[in-house]
Amino acid sequence: MAERVFITGMGMVTAIGDNVAENLQHLRQQKSGLGFTDYIDTIYKQVLPVGEIKLSNKALFDKTGIPVQHGFTRTTLLGLAAMQEALQQAGISDVSATPTGFINASTVGGMCDTEKVYFDLINPDKEGDFIQSINTLDCADCTQRIADTIGFHDHIATISTACSSSANALMFGARMIKHGMYQRMVCGGTEALTRFTLNGFNSLKNVDKQFCRPFDNQRTGLNLGEGAAYLVLESESFARANNSTILAELSGYCNANEAFHPTSPSPEGDGAYAAMKNALAMSGRSLEEVQYVNVHGTATLNNDVSEGRALERLFGTKVPPFSSTKPFTGHTLAAAGAIEAIYSVLAIQNGIIFPNLNFSEKMEELSIIPVMELKEGVLIKNVISNSFGFGGNNASLVLSKYEG
Amino acid sequence: MKVKCYIQGMAAISPQSTFEGDIINMPLVRTESNRLACIEPDYKPYIPANSLRRMSRILKMGLTAALKCLAVSGVSTPGPIVTGTGKGSLQDTEKFIKEIEQYKETALNPTPFIQSTYNSVNGLIALQQQGTDYNNTFVHRGFSFENALIDSLMLLQEGYSHTLTGAFEEITPEHFYIKSRIGHWRADPVANIDLLNTNLPGTIAGEGSTFFVLGAKADANSIAALSACKLLYKPSAAQLTATLQELGSDADLIISGANGDSNHAHYYQLLQDVLPQPSIPFKHLSGEYDTAGAFALWLAASLLKAGSIPAELFPMVPQFPTDFKKIVIYNHFYGEQHTVMVVEKV
Repeated sequence: MAERVFITGMGMVTAIGDNVAENLQHLRQQKSGLGFTDYIDTIYKQVLPVGEIKLSNKALFDKTGIPVQHGFTRTTLLGLAAMQEALQQAGISDVSATPTGFINASTVGGMCDTEKVYFDLINPDKEGDFIQSINTLDCADCTQRIADTIGFHDHIATISTACSSSANALMFGARMIKHGMYQRMVCGGTEALTRFTLNGFNSLKNVDKQFCRPFDNQRTGLNLGEGAAYLVLESESFARANNSTILAELSGYCNANEAFHPTSPSPEGDGAYAAMKNALAMSGRSLEEVQYVNVHGTATLNNDVSEGRALERLFGTKVPPFSSTKPFTGHTLAAAGAIEAIYSVLAIQNGIIFPNLNFSEKMEELSIIPVMELKEGVLIKNVISNSFGFGGNNASLVLSKYEG
Repeated sequence: MKVKCYIQGMAAISPQSTFEGDIINMPLVRTESNRLACIEPDYKPYIPANSLRRMSRILKMGLTAALKCLAVSGVSTPGPIVTGTGKGSLQDTEKFIKEIEQYKETALNPTPFIQSTYNSVNGLIALQQQGTDYNNTFVHRGFSFENALIDSLMLLQEGYSHTLTGAFEEITPEHFYIKSRIGHWRADPVANIDLLNTNLPGTIAGEGSTFFVLGAKADANSIAALSACKLLYKPSAAQLTATLQELGSDADLIISGANGDSNHAHYYQLLQDVLPQPSIPFKHLSGEYDTAGAFALWLAASLLKAGSIPAELFPMVPQFPTDFKKIVIYNHFYGEQHTVMVVEKV
């Protein structure tokens, strides 16, 4: 029988906080991180709201305690900040003392910095220090710089499955533990806002000029965000022998492809349905035992219909309380799965359900509505967390209360 | 990871004539520039014309190699689809960066953005083949394909009968120039067959799209067995030596990733010292790229199936073993990601 996988450390940085505690505080206070960008050079500066972390790269160098230098992109710095907290919370001072793998996720690597010098990179007349940053364009760059700074030297990997990337990173790490390859893995993702992705989603006409309104009948699209989050995963036997503080169990997961369209989900939510159903089956929990669903809920026209239909198909008339936390953080793409996995653990630990901000009108295609107000004192044992992406890449995680 | 799986079918688009025919009769494509380009097949038998027009180069190469691989394997569904790519669609990434600038962020065509997403090839294969199982894309330089292999081996242990596992990479003129600025390539043009005769900084660039159907059980169609895949990140000489000894001491043939780049040649020297068995190179055929390991695996499986090594493809190798059953592939990508694969005769 494969070992259970426990979460023993969490670290994060998002538009609503530089650490897990600040995130929880702002979730409780219903304080959104959406606003206009200070750092991206775009004509949409005052037009398209984003979930930006209000720390300059200089401030991020200070926060992570490393000297300002070329090659450390914002993607890397955000990741480092989250990683340092995750390891600290897990009580890991030397990551190499126990063989520990690192699975990272990224959608555009160091594009945030590369796009600023790209035209110099391809211009033979331009010379300068920027050439040292050439390798930051790909997705492995941030992973390796984080690994080298922290001291990971065992298995490393970077996953890119669009908006489900870090959910897949968690899944891959958990499976490596279950296969007995490692006792401990650190998994998650990092994403910095870029002009590239902002224009990409805007060209698809699914970015809202207002703050995003998931599951609202009047929703018109998403807001992008940035952030990073990592979770320390340990096998049950290791966590016990090590006397680790167990925060929750990663009890189920599923990666399923929808095979419907390159960028759009199917109207009946086939992929979302399969991912949730199979993840729950793996966890051994019944439908009635799910107290909260942290939905993908991007507020695009297609996602919310598809995901809502999948919820109705799976749970029938008994859809559990659900909410999207994207109106707090924006859609953080590769980091979203890990950020929302942490929010799910916070919901379990604190007995709270976060409100789905900006909702006012039920969608005409659905009979369900999201949680509109903060709910406290709720017994939450199992949470489903959804992450769905381009290419039909759907992923669901089941986070469960640790009860021995 | 040391778990056996079986290569049930494969297809490769590369700078050599690998897509059609078998390796024994394959002519050596000689190159004189430092950028080896794939010999692209006729895509029409694989992709409808109206789809073909919209697809960028790596999407066509990725999808076509995957489709041919599935066809020759005789499996009815792809099963889980797991791939690796270091750079994804460079052509689309470059195009979208430029269009943002050129059109001042307005009225942009979303297609290059969509296709620049690293998992777009995976999504496309799933869409074409109605593959609704597990689907994952690894994007970690010289560990991209090998992580896809590790994932596939786990999936086979978890109960899937087979996986579609592959890698794809392209080198554009623009990216070739960018990487020339940090010394990735030889300063002067070198013929591919002379690459290993000179020990100078840099190598030759390559590209390729290689797919495998991996099965949990051997049958009459099995081409070769993959019995180990090990990844070492920036290893010490001692760690590398120990892994090569553990996995390769009884190998009959070594496939070396040697690429004539004097900056990192000492690792291949170490390989020769630790495993002095007969050895053949492959980068003169494929060029260097993040997922060249997939080409090496294709080569190893092809040679095991053929039972002999065609001298035509390896003019720099004086003599070949007549009988070989176990091949060890050792490769590294610019000294950082080191990988060892063991491939055996079925």
